[in-house]
Amino acid sequence: MQSADPIIELRGVGHQFDDLVVFENFNLKVFSGDSLVLVGPSGSGKSLLLKFMTGLVAPDQGEVFYRGQLLSTLSKKDQQSFLAEVGMLFQQNALFDSMKVYDNLDFVLGEAKPDWKSSQREAEIVKFLTAVGLDHVPQLFPGELSGGMQKRLGIARALVLQPKLVFYDDPTAGLDPITSRQIIQMILDLKKQLNATIVTVTHDMMRAYQLAGEIMVCFPRDFIKTGGKEETLHHSNAKVQQFIHGDVKGPLEAL
Amino acid sequence: MTIITKNLQVLGGSVGFFIEIMSSSAHTFRNREEVFNQTLHVFWQSLLTTGFAGFFVGAIMALQFTLQMEVFSALSYLGGLVTSATVREVGPLLIAFLLSGKIGAFTSAELGTMKVSEQIDAIRCLGADPIEEVIVPRFFGIVLASFFLLTVGLMCSLFGGILMASIFAGIPWEQYIRHVPTIMNGFSLTSGVVKCFSFSLVIATLCTYRGYSVRGGAKEVGEGVVQAATQTMISLVLADWVSSLILEELLNV
Repeated sequence: MQSADPIIELRGVGHQFDDLVVFENFNLKVFSGDSLVLVGPSGSGKSLLLKFMTGLVAPDQGEVFYRGQLLSTLSKKDQQSFLAEVGMLFQQNALFDSMKVYDNLDFVLGEAKPDWKSSQREAEIVKFLTAVGLDHVPQLFPGELSGGMQKRLGIARALVLQPKLVFYDDPTAGLDPITSRQIIQMILDLKKQLNATIVTVTHDMMRAYQLAGEIMVCFPRDFIKTGGKEETLHHSNAKVQQFIHGDVKGPLEAL
Repeated sequence: MTIITKNLQVLGGSVGFFIEIMSSSAHTFRNREEVFNQTLHVFWQSLLTTGFAGFFVGAIMALQFTLQMEVFSALSYLGGLVTSATVREVGPLLIAFLLSGKIGAFTSAELGTMKVSEQIDAIRCLGADPIEEVIVPRFFGIVLASFFLLTVGLMCSLFGGILMASIFAGIPWEQYIRHVPTIMNGFSLTSGVVKCFSFSLVIATLCTYRGYSVRGGAKEVGEGVVQAATQTMISLVLADWVSSLILEELLNV
């Protein structure tokens, strides 16, 4: 059951790079508690969409609202409260590579909760490192971790402030199927624990089905909400069918 | 776009960036531990190279002056002339070139990599200002460390000059330094200090600016590093010329 007001809303969004139009009059509403999964070919604007929603990139046209407030006009204080409610896992993890595992989380807490004592911060960090299974490597640098461990650290950093809205940009990229499944399960468990709304970008349809409340298949200037796993699998759109089955021949060839 | 337009763009961008750093530097005190760490890191990283370069700058200057002054039988003034010329002009410039290559390349590569690997975006996502958190400590770290390194380099150049004068011209160190205060006056010293400081600002501003402006991937990081090095060196020569003109005009000694 969706609440009346969306937690995040995009209205009439348009964006282009030189002559390449990526978004044209695009609208989207994400409601509290949703698990929206964005799938689609590379270059269709999925990661950019996440950056619009976090305010990291402003669209050329249109507006982004967070709980009914226009994101671009938020005061610095309101912007900080907004960002305190948002967590993001970046496509390449964006871990602070000059800091140890522990310090990657400590930096986040230090910035957002400057009045917290170090013992309070430590308890929180240990809790999250344990949740993602990294409590045994707090003194290692990100470069010393495996790909899966780096993803898990990225997830812990995105969640350490217990955000209400979490964006995951390709959380299983470059991981083997078993680790991918574990990562997605962990995302779902943490979503439940934190009662969060999540928006995830992925290229892996199996993981999309595992995650999805709702799937949106993204093509350049064409975004199709297909529904849950079953609805997506039986969707009538030829482009959707070609993409989810990975067929080489089909209407996407022309794109 | 012509080369002039491009360079004017870089000049405008770096001046704007410098102003942005200054306006964000109120938080420097809060970040003093980070500034101290950065200063120490840069200083230790470049101490040996700077000392080595400084030593040979002094040695080369002494050797060249020995060849010229022998002709005029004025070797007793060697120490004063070498030290004054080195402290006033050659030393700061050559050592600053070296520092721009070493510290500048390192800083612009580090910041460029942070930018393309989305670490800067991750900081913004926390509601923090990357200029305050990342740039300001590095900027002041480079300014302070470069200033100290230039001073150390100049002191090493004095030793280089003494050693070379003793080996090639047979001038004992007491005689070498006897005329230093006579020729190397307050103007030379002020000139050296002002140049060290202004060169530190040039290195810190351009290298952080070029690193922070990188967009794209590994190729653009490489390009950013090359641009940081070349533009810093050109700017150092210009800064040397401008500061020499101003100092001559103001102190006129």
